[in-house]
Amino acid sequence: MANEISLNQLRDLAQRAGLKLSDDALQQLVPGVNRTRQQADELRRLLNNQVEPAGHFCANKGN
Amino acid sequence: MSTTELGYLTIGEAAIGLRQKKFSASELTRGCLARIDAFDGKLHAFITLTRELALKQAEQADTELQAGKDRGPLHGIPIALKDLYATRGIRTTCHSAVLEHWIPDFDATAATKLSEAGTILLGKVGMHEFAFGGPSVDAPFPAVRNPWNPAHIPGGSSSGSGAALAAGLCHGALGSDTGGSIRTPAAHCGIVGIKPTFGRVSRYGVIPLSWSLDHAGPMARSVEDCAMLLQVLAGYDPKDPASADVPVPNFQEEMKGGVKGLRVGVPRKNWFDENLGIHQESEEVFNEALRVLESLGAQIIDIDGKAFSLARKANQTILISEAYTYHEKTCQETPEKLGSSVRRRIIEGAFMSAADYITAQRARAVLNEQIRADFSRVDVFAVPGAARPPEPFEGMDPNELNLRPSFTNPFNLTGLPAISVPCGFTQGNLPAGLQIVAPPFAEAACFRAAYSYEQATDWRTRRPSL
Repeated sequence: MANEISLNQLRDLAQRAGLKLSDDALQQLVPGVNRTRQQADELRRLLNNQVEPAGHFCANKGN
Repeated sequence: MSTTELGYLTIGEAAIGLRQKKFSASELTRGCLARIDAFDGKLHAFITLTRELALKQAEQADTELQAGKDRGPLHGIPIALKDLYATRGIRTTCHSAVLEHWIPDFDATAATKLSEAGTILLGKVGMHEFAFGGPSVDAPFPAVRNPWNPAHIPGGSSSGSGAALAAGLCHGALGSDTGGSIRTPAAHCGIVGIKPTFGRVSRYGVIPLSWSLDHAGPMARSVEDCAMLLQVLAGYDPKDPASADVPVPNFQEEMKGGVKGLRVGVPRKNWFDENLGIHQESEEVFNEALRVLESLGAQIIDIDGKAFSLARKANQTILISEAYTYHEKTCQETPEKLGSSVRRRIIEGAFMSAADYITAQRARAVLNEQIRADFSRVDVFAVPGAARPPEPFEGMDPNELNLRPSFTNPFNLTGLPAISVPCGFTQGNLPAGLQIVAPPFAEAACFRAAYSYEQATDWRTRRPSL
């Protein structure tokens, strides 16, 4: 299970993503980011190794 | 006819009136423009009004109809487009400072199809910024208001489309729907909106929110009108990579067939009471709508809602990851151009890992299978259009939405066609919607059930007091 992200960790991730965010802005993001990560963990419990992502690249479909 | 009577004609009624020469397309258009002038100052539905273009198009429609060149039931009908549909030579802003001055040099396929069908473009209507977040209080254009009570939100993100229809400012509109953005304003504004099957309507020229989840679709004041609009909009488009190359049926063919024997699945258990649960007033109105369907001969069947509840989680992870990717450059270089509410929601996507995103897409495969398996026992699903009545602007908590079930998200994840039809009012005289969801590409089943319900009630005859 993913640990909760702290403000410091979020600051590091923001920097690596090229985002200039104040600590106030980062603090506001913490609950939402952790909620979405928890949701992803909940979804992991549905899966086994046989499950592939929905949708695949189609080699003969012109883009 | 008064401008009110003209303004509230359905497309079907206007089409008959035009051909019986009770009024002209120019009169219909001038009627809409008069209502826009009278009422849009407090509703803010329109961002760009194309008055001169509309009058010119109406004149052309009248000339063509007089000469016997009839393009079909949408010929001469005034419509509005959500301001994320690219329109050649007409500003397309997504209700954002980022695109405040963007004038596309091409048309979205959906816009082209409606134009070729002879519709009259009244203008581009407001929305939630980039179809995400809530009403924008710091965008360059004011937030759209609910005609039933302007102190309340109209729902979004196709807020201008919903409000313009409810106020009789246009006869048809386009919306888009990634997590509920056609169906929520349809419910909150007391009009009809359908999110068709994923791939049914081309998204070419529609500014994306989330490529995997975006749907384009029509909104109108009646089920039949939505069917007429979808008839024109539907069809394969090689310019949209997600466009489905499937036959387009006659959506109205069996629309009046009734619901006797229809098995309606209601996924209440393990879903409706998620977190804060559905608002009591919304549930009461929904339950009454189910009783009407039963009285018409439908069979209501309880099914488990757990997969629907989980679907929202997968939808959200995919949505914010893809939305951030689309807006990454803006977030890095000019984040101040995004409104505060949408900026926060989009930037959240920067912190999702690739594994989180792929997990959500894998869960999508599993949940799609689980939800579609229910169609072995039922013909359609019925769910509320919204988990609560439209909130007041004052004191609105954007996080509250996360604490209630989303009755719309799961059908973006699964791509199933879903229509919202008016089903009553909550205590503050605010509209509510009933959603009917059908198997893939079975929009005709949505229309049939929604039409039966609509005709058995009088909600569509109610008008907001403007």
